[in-house]
Amino acid sequence: MTNPYLDLTRQFNQGRLRALVSSGQAVVLHRLAIMSKDGDWVLREDEETMRHVLSVLAGHGARYRFGAPLDVRWLSGGWSAHLEHTGNGLRLRTDFVSRPPRVSVSELDAMWRAAETSDSEVVPLEPLAAMKLTKREKDYAVLGELARRMSDPRAQLRYSRSSRDLARLAAEHPDALADSLQVRPLLAHVARGRDALDAELDRERRTLMRADEARLERYRDAAARWAAIWPGVSRQIEGLGLHDAHRVIVARADGVLPTEATGGATDA
Amino acid sequence: MPEARDEFLSDEDLDLQNLSDDELIAYWNLWLTQAQATNDLDEALYSHGVFERDPAVAESPARGSHTENTR
Repeated sequence: MTNPYLDLTRQFNQGRLRALVSSGQAVVLHRLAIMSKDGDWVLREDEETMRHVLSVLAGHGARYRFGAPLDVRWLSGGWSAHLEHTGNGLRLRTDFVSRPPRVSVSELDAMWRAAETSDSEVVPLEPLAAMKLTKREKDYAVLGELARRMSDPRAQLRYSRSSRDLARLAAEHPDALADSLQVRPLLAHVARGRDALDAELDRERRTLMRADEARLERYRDAAARWAAIWPGVSRQIEGLGLHDAHRVIVARADGVLPTEATGGATDA
Repeated sequence: MPEARDEFLSDEDLDLQNLSDDELIAYWNLWLTQAQATNDLDEALYSHGVFERDPAVAESPARGSHTENTR
């Protein structure tokens, strides 16, 4: 038995690991919840990966949706590319980043090394948790369970959303707590009891949501000119094969959609 | 009596851990098939990220008021 997103992932990774399932479908593969009908992948940031993924999607008759070109220049600036095709009666949306938000370059490198070693095609729990620190309330519920799956108490202390879990972890792993205080200031409140810690968890969540909103706003502003010309670009690529459409989109985006935007990636 | 714990997801969600690989994929595929019912409503929309609406897709009363309540 198979699944369209698993099939696509195998095709993306034919001959070489290029793509890791991310976001909603990664949450499924970590067996937490089924929450999304779209597919997201983190791609390796190299030209061969972009060419290969584009060719796989061209083979499925995919078309571009509004977004950045599937091109290293834009993905390395934190943008996301969005395509869509139909397979077995399903509308399959395929979204790509190479620089997921809130994941540092060193953490990305570690993620790819771990994937190579483990032969996994799914974003691991810790970077997935970082990606889930979004402006959406429901992602914090997913995060609460993601943290419980982490084996390292330091990782749990960094991402847990449960005051009970945090109090227990702090008691069982005082060294890990001391190590984690710098990366998560909220942990300084663990000794103040559950009510205080719950209030700090709420405050932290709101702060994280606002930070994500601000990040998205920066990208939205940077994409304003691209959004304005997109209806014309969309008409220009209508009926073209994906490779031809890609060439048009790269040419039209050049100088209109900045490759560099400040602060992280577009997708979460 | 089991110790109280903070709950984040439903029992149905958490039960995915108890499915075999084939059961998970069957349930996942069924969910994806059923989710196609909202394709017309979210044609122009993105469920998250900077790109929120496709500016090339005309807005209509059927569209635009719906946000995919997933992911």
